Amino acid sequence: MTYVVTDNCIKCKYMDCVEVCPVDCFYEGDNMLVIHPDECIDCGVCEPECPAEAISPDGDQHLEKWLRLNAEYALIWPNITIKREPPADAKEFDGEPNKLESYFSPQPGRGD
Amino acid sequence: MRVDMKIGLVSEEGIRILVDHFYAKVRVDPVLGPVFERVVRGKWGPHLETMCNFWSSVMLTSGRYKGAPVPAHLRVKGIEPQMFDHWLRLFGETCDEIFEHEVAEAFRAKAARIAESLKLALFFRLNPASATRSL
Repeated sequence: MTYVVTDNCIKCKYMDCVEVCPVDCFYEGDNMLVIHPDECIDCGVCEPECPAEAISPDGDQHLEKWLRLNAEYALIWPNITIKREPPADAKEFDGEPNKLESYFSPQPGRGD
Repeated sequence: MRVDMKIGLVSEEGIRILVDHFYAKVRVDPVLGPVFERVVRGKWGPHLETMCNFWSSVMLTSGRYKGAPVPAHLRVKGIEPQMFDHWLRLFGETCDEIFEHEVAEAFRAKAARIAESLKLALFFRLNPASATRSL
């Protein structure tokens, strides 16, 4: 079991989660974060911290594709443990549905 | 342990009491004691400090702990899945001795999730091939 980052993180990337995560298991893409499922200890601290409510426990069946995406990109993107300024237009994209199809970037972010 | 008044809120002080009492039990526990002793090697002070920071991060979102518990547990020789259940029982008992029911439950629930997650990571690791499958 692990927590996973889902659709609403894309283009919002508020990064509040990285500061509270006790095990530094967030990895940064160009416009979203992911959780490394083998490093997450399922403590759940990050879930209520996310202003976009984009973090969920992986128990739900419909999160299977997100678990795969988190696992795949956590191996490629750089680790992030220090919060930076979120994108200036984060709020405009907060809540927009199906952002994966429209905006997801596989490019790595800056990391720490 | 006898506590005159149980603690009804999660606080740094409560976490310190919990950690001190719990690890006092762990040290003399026939199952857990020897496993911990092999790793801690008598340096319980720094270990308890780390555990206080860990629980503070988990229960109070303080960000005080930053570490990698999965690799730390992977390095422990002689660790077995049933030890986690034993650990949870002892931890749960200690929580009940120190905290009011609701607070004890909150600690137990977190501990159970984390233990399950560590167990999965240690004994049923995701096949790395499945983690690199594309969407």
